[in-house]
Amino acid sequence: MPIVEARNLSHVFADGTAAIEDVNLQIEPKEFVVIAGPNGSGKTVFIRHLNGLLAPTRGQVLINGESIAKNLLQTRKKVGMVFQDSDSQIVGQTVEEDVAFGPENLNLPPEEVEKLVSESLQAVGLESYAAQNPHTLSGGLKKKLAIAGILAMKPEVIIFDEPFAGLDYPGTVQVLKQIVALHASGHTILLVTHELEKVLAHANRLMIISQGKLVKNGAPSEVIGSCESYGIRMPLRENEGIETLTWLK
Amino acid sequence: MMLFHYVHKNTPLHTMDGRIKVLCLVLLSLTASLATDVSDYLLLSAVILTALFVSRLPLIPLLRDMKFFLFLILFVFVMNAIGTGGEPIPDFPIRSVSVAGILTGAMFAWRLILIIILCAIMTGTTSLLVLKKAIEWGLRPIPFIPETRVGTMVNLTFVLIPVVLDQYTEMSVAQKARCVDSRKNPVKRVMFITLPLLSNIFRKTDELIFAMEARCYSEERTKAVFMKVCPMDWLILLICVLTIILMIV
Amino acid sequence: MSPNSNSSNLRMTVYAALFTAFIIIGGYISVPVPVGPVPIVLADFFVMLTALFLGYKWGPVSVALFLALGALGLPVFAGGKAGLAVLFGPTGGFLLGYLLLVIVTGLLTEKIKSVSAKGTLLKNIAALIAGNVLLYLVGVPWLKVVTKLPWSGALAAGLIPFIPGIIIKIAAAVIVAQVLLPRFKQATAQSAPRHEDA
Ligand SMILES: Nc1ncnc2c1ncn2[C@@H]1O[C@H](COP(=O)(O)OP(=O)(O)O)[C@@H](O)[C@H]1O
Ligand SMILES: [Mg+2]
Repeated sequence: MPIVEARNLSHVFADGTAAIEDVNLQIEPKEFVVIAGPNGSGKTVFIRHLNGLLAPTRGQVLINGESIAKNLLQTRKKVGMVFQDSDSQIVGQTVEEDVAFGPENLNLPPEEVEKLVSESLQAVGLESYAAQNPHTLSGGLKKKLAIAGILAMKPEVIIFDEPFAGLDYPGTVQVLKQIVALHASGHTILLVTHELEKVLAHANRLMIISQGKLVKNGAPSEVIGSCESYGIRMPLRENEGIETLTWLK
Repeated sequence: MMLFHYVHKNTPLHTMDGRIKVLCLVLLSLTASLATDVSDYLLLSAVILTALFVSRLPLIPLLRDMKFFLFLILFVFVMNAIGTGGEPIPDFPIRSVSVAGILTGAMFAWRLILIIILCAIMTGTTSLLVLKKAIEWGLRPIPFIPETRVGTMVNLTFVLIPVVLDQYTEMSVAQKARCVDSRKNPVKRVMFITLPLLSNIFRKTDELIFAMEARCYSEERTKAVFMKVCPMDWLILLICVLTIILMIV
Repeated sequence: MSPNSNSSNLRMTVYAALFTAFIIIGGYISVPVPVGPVPIVLADFFVMLTALFLGYKWGPVSVALFLALGALGLPVFAGGKAGLAVLFGPTGGFLLGYLLLVIVTGLLTEKIKSVSAKGTLLKNIAALIAGNVLLYLVGVPWLKVVTKLPWSGALAAGLIPFIPGIIIKIAAAVIVAQVLLPRFKQATAQSAPRHEDA
């Protein structure tokens, strides 16, 4: 059974913008899916339906075969989301407090919150920053903090919205390593980006969204040829394979 | 900006229970407003200066902050010197200045200085997290005030201040490059600076709200835990209570 | 949508905190006036915006939080001052007056219905003038009593230097509201689905 499924998903905003139209997809557990598309094509709007931040005007989203409308809380625990803008995700005045936000929302006992926080900080290697003010962290570490905040809720699926936007080379590598490690530890990964050259080698599926429609969906090697026609930079040079598309050595 | 400059140290005032500290602050503020004669002021000064000594706060920044208040202190002094009435000083060029007036003015100024030091000790020794917890705890018994929501608001206010300032810095650099500053018409300046600034900040705030939703924001959350109040804290509270009693009798 | 409904609760909680942050920052941008203890600040500009954006239910929450933080000793009042001494000092009337401004302006703008954009503009201007009149009706006498100034002195220190500033701030607040408020209200009406709803 797919872990995430969208059926005939459409979203029309109050001002009449049809941001996504009739999107259908299925994602199996432990997949690593890259979603590409030019700016304004509806990627962000689409993924925000998957944890119920936006309610569709038509269609539905199913997690493990159940419609998410029935239990939004359960959905948001299972489907973690790392936003594009790390700064506007910070809700704590220290790193530790920020990671505690999720478990505290679940009203867990204090000892358990503490345990989850230290486990999550350890998983992303931020233990030594626990007492630091999040705003003083570098771009890459801020992204890792956002990841820790989500890990503290024990998600099965993690969605990344443009995780490399605005990061320098070391920051990108730091975050990419983390994402690959999360996939290796059994998480299902959905990653939105138009910078395929940084990450595609790690994905087992590539989807292209264009003007609100899911236009391509398949193995990276099959889909990558049609990138340019949908306004995404073709990352491959001649005689090179998909496996070269990563910033990890 | 030198906002809320908490200085991390390990003194009895730093490690003090936040609830008791807030209570002490309220007690001492009350004492200050009850003080009438010189002996009252001496007592209060002794208590507050001892606290300042115990807190081991750096004195130079404190004196620098005092500059802000110099004008207010001088104003209060001059106004009281002129306005109190009573026997005018012989041969003094301004007729309405009296000995009684100068004394009252000096007392007012003294009180103001004491309160400023008191506040400096409070902010210098208390992290915002401790303060937020203390506020939440203090509101628990008061009906109709949702204490967790107030706690969240206190927290978010201090999370958002740096976000707003960052946004302003980014914006003003961009605007300088486009020479917007040279416009003299203040209403036009508002159009060119305030509007895009606020609209950016609102967009960031909307993202923050989504991020909080995604992490299952709930007002039924894990309650703050407090360490056991140590004997030293009780001792400090006792000193504050004794001060106010001594002043009343 | 009413502030008590679940879906807009979080949104308004966050925005109330944001406007408190604005008011605090506005107080830091302060210019002393040579004739008295009342400095020119941007805090009142943000209080006006708070009234227009958050209305009479959430606006006062934002201002009250600002006052409470200052009373607890955090340096949030104009120029980084803090404490009960400021709240009951010469400028205390203006600080408490903010609360009145936000309630009155919020009530007037929300309770009076306007159909056209021009009507809204006039309504906002009138509501802000009423709120400011009230602010100075509290602030100036308070200043007179605390500092024992004569009326002429209190007016010279607490009102006259501010009149041009008030006019500019009202104009600016109204323009900001005209441009940004429609989208803000629309977004409030359709804020994210809450998990409690399910
Ligand atoms: N709240 C909104 N109201 C109206 N239109 C919106 C809103 N949010 C996004 N859109 C529109 O939806 C489209 C898709 O946006 P988005 O999903 O953010 O694109 P991207 O693929 O760059 O992430 C864009 O045309 C955008 O203008
Ligand atoms: Mg996007």
